[in-house]
Amino acid sequence: MSPFGASTSRPGHGTIVLSILPPSTPVLETLSYQYPLKLIAPDAIPLPEPSQIGDFTDGPTLPYSPLLVHTVFILTYGGGLVAGDTIDLHITLAPTTRLALLTQGSTKIFKTPSRDLVSGQRMSVDLSPSSALCYLPDPVQPFAHSAFSQVQTYNLEGGQGSLCVCDWVCEGRSARGEKWSFYSYASKNEVWAVSSNGARRLLLRDNLILDKSDSRAGGGFVERMDGFGVFGTLILYGPVFSALGSYFLSEFTSLPRIGGRKWDIGVAEAELSAGEMRRVTRQRQEAEDGLIWTAASHRGFVLVKFGAREVEGARRWLSGMVRGEGSVVRSFGERALLCLK
Amino acid sequence: MTSINTDRQSLQDEIANLEQRLQDLKSKLANNPQPPPSADPSNPIALHALLLLSDSALPLGSFAFSSGLESYLAHHRPSPSPHNHYSNSSNSHISPSISSTSTPTTPIQSLHHFLRLSLSTIASTSLPYVLAAYRSPDEIETLDNDFDASTPCTVARRASVAQGRALLAVWERAFRGIYGDGGGDMDAVAVEALGGFQRRMREEVGSGSEKGKGGVGGLGLEGVDGQGLLNAHLAPLWGVITRVLRVPIRDAAYLFLFSHARTVVSAAVRASVLGPYQAQGVLASAELQKRIRELVGEYWDVGIGGAGQTVPVMDLWVGRHEKLYSRIFNS
Repeated sequence: MSPFGASTSRPGHGTIVLSILPPSTPVLETLSYQYPLKLIAPDAIPLPEPSQIGDFTDGPTLPYSPLLVHTVFILTYGGGLVAGDTIDLHITLAPTTRLALLTQGSTKIFKTPSRDLVSGQRMSVDLSPSSALCYLPDPVQPFAHSAFSQVQTYNLEGGQGSLCVCDWVCEGRSARGEKWSFYSYASKNEVWAVSSNGARRLLLRDNLILDKSDSRAGGGFVERMDGFGVFGTLILYGPVFSALGSYFLSEFTSLPRIGGRKWDIGVAEAELSAGEMRRVTRQRQEAEDGLIWTAASHRGFVLVKFGAREVEGARRWLSGMVRGEGSVVRSFGERALLCLK
Repeated sequence: MTSINTDRQSLQDEIANLEQRLQDLKSKLANNPQPPPSADPSNPIALHALLLLSDSALPLGSFAFSSGLESYLAHHRPSPSPHNHYSNSSNSHISPSISSTSTPTTPIQSLHHFLRLSLSTIASTSLPYVLAAYRSPDEIETLDNDFDASTPCTVARRASVAQGRALLAVWERAFRGIYGDGGGDMDAVAVEALGGFQRRMREEVGSGSEKGKGGVGGLGLEGVDGQGLLNAHLAPLWGVITRVLRVPIRDAAYLFLFSHARTVVSAAVRASVLGPYQAQGVLASAELQKRIRELVGEYWDVGIGGAGQTVPVMDLWVGRHEKLYSRIFNS
C-alpha cells in the first residue's frame, strides 16, 4: 500500500488563465502543466507605445493603462512527442487581455511502433470579448512512420475576440530525405461562437487529414503533395488583426495574373514606389521558393493558405508579410513573431 | 475451486461482450433510416428518380465549374522558353514539381492525376455532409451552416452555393408537385425539413437581409442564438433531396461522386485536354468505378466532424482560380 494519496496529476494537461487584476492589469492567474507538457512564461512586456485599450475594443472600455502582452512558450521534453503522448491545454482569456503563444523550435513527432498508436495535442481557448490571441508557432515536423492528430478549438464568447493563428506542417526531416513519410497527420481548427445561453454555432472549421492508409485507394501519397514541402493555414479574425487581414487580401489581389505575359519588361524599377518595390521583390522571392498562396475573406475571417517547396521559403514569406504590414508588431510586440525569424 | 471461478468469470465476460455488441448493433439500426428500396427494375420509383438526377440535362449549372481543373492546368504549364523576350518567370507561379519525374507529363495523364485528387477532395469534404443530411434531414440548417463554415475558399463556396440553389429550384419547380405532396409512403420528415428550409430562404431573400460575408474583423453575429443566414450548399441539399426522392442512400452517395467526376471530365473536354471519346472511356473505366466504390465505403461512417481536406494543394489551386489570366470556367 502506498503511503501517498492517489495522484491527481493528469499527464500532458495544462492550464493558462489570464485575468484582470482590478482595476485593469492583466495577470497570469494560473499556469499549470504536467509532463510531457511544459509551459514557460517570461515576464509580460508592456508595448513601447501603449495605445488606448479602447482602440481595439468592441466591449466595455477600460481606463487607459499600458498594454501588457503576456507570452507563454509551449514546450515538450525532447522537443517533440513520442508515440502515445497526448497534450491537453486549456486557455482562458479575460476581457482586454492579450496572449502570444510560441514554441521553441518545431514540434517533432517521433515514429510510432504501430499506426494505431497516435500522439495528440488538444488545445482549447476561451476568448472573452476584446481579448486577443496570437499563436504563431514553428511548423510541426512529423518524422517518418509517425502518427499524429491535433485539434485546436477557439470559443469566442458572443462571437467576439481577436485571433491570429498559424497552423503549418512540413514534410519531415528533409535532410534525411523524408517526404511526407508519416503514417498519418491530422490537424483540425474550429472556431465557435458561444452565446450567453450556452448555445454554440460553428463559425469556421479547417480540417487537414493526411492519412497513408487511403493512399492505396487514391494514388501515391507523395504525388498528391505536388512537390510541396510545407503547407499552412493562417486564420485572422477580430478587430486587432483586421488591418493585417486587409493587407493579405489586397496583396493577393495584387498578385500578377497566372499565365499572362508581362508586357512592361522595360519599366525602370526606379519608377516604382518603395511599397511596390517591396512587393515586386517579395513576389520574385515567392517564385524562387515555389511558394503559392491564397487569401479569402469568409464569414468575418480572413483565411490564408500557403504551400512552399521548403520550410525556409514559407517562413521567409510569412515573416515578410506580417512584419511588412506591421500591425502585429505594434499590437503584440516583436516577441510574438519569434518563431518566424 | 478456482477453475469453476474462472469458468464463471469467462462466462460473465462473454455475456458482457455480447451485450455490448447487442447495444452497438441496436444503435446502428436506430441510426439507419428504414431499409430503402433498392434501385432495381422491381422498384421503378427509385430507379426513375435516380435516372432523373443523373441526367446531365438536369439544370444545375455544373457545366460552369471545373472544380480547380483549369487552375491546376495553368499551374502546371511548362514556362515559356527563356529566350523569349516577352516571357518572364515571375508571372507564372509554377508548381515546384514541374521538373520531378513522378508527375504526369501528357495532358491525359494530368487529367487522371487531377481526377483522382479531385474525387478524394470532394469525398472527404462533402460526402459526410451528403450522408448526414440523408440520415437526419431535420438538421439541414445546421448542416448547411457547418458546411459553409468548413468551406472558406470563395471560389469553391460560389460553386457549391450556385449548384445548391439550382437544385433547390429544380425541386421547387419540377419535383415537388410529384414527390412532395400526398402519396402513401412519402418520407414526411425529409419533406418537412426541405419545406422549412425553403421557407426560411424565401424569408431571408424577401427581407432583403445583407449577406454580410465580406469584410474583415469581427462581425459579431447575426443572431448568435443559432440563426445564421442560409446558404443552400449542394452537398447537404443533395442528401435531403435524394432522401425525399427515395433514392437508396448508397446510390445517392455514388451518384454524388459520379456527377462530380463527370463534371470534371466534361470540363476537361471543353478545356481541350481530351476528346469526347476519351472522356467516355475515362468515365467508364474500371479504375473510376473502383475508386468511387472505395470512397463511398471509406466515408460511410465518418461524421461531419471528421470531414476535412485530404489534398491541401487543391485548396491552393481552387483559391487561385481568380488569379488566372484567362478563364473559361467559374471555378
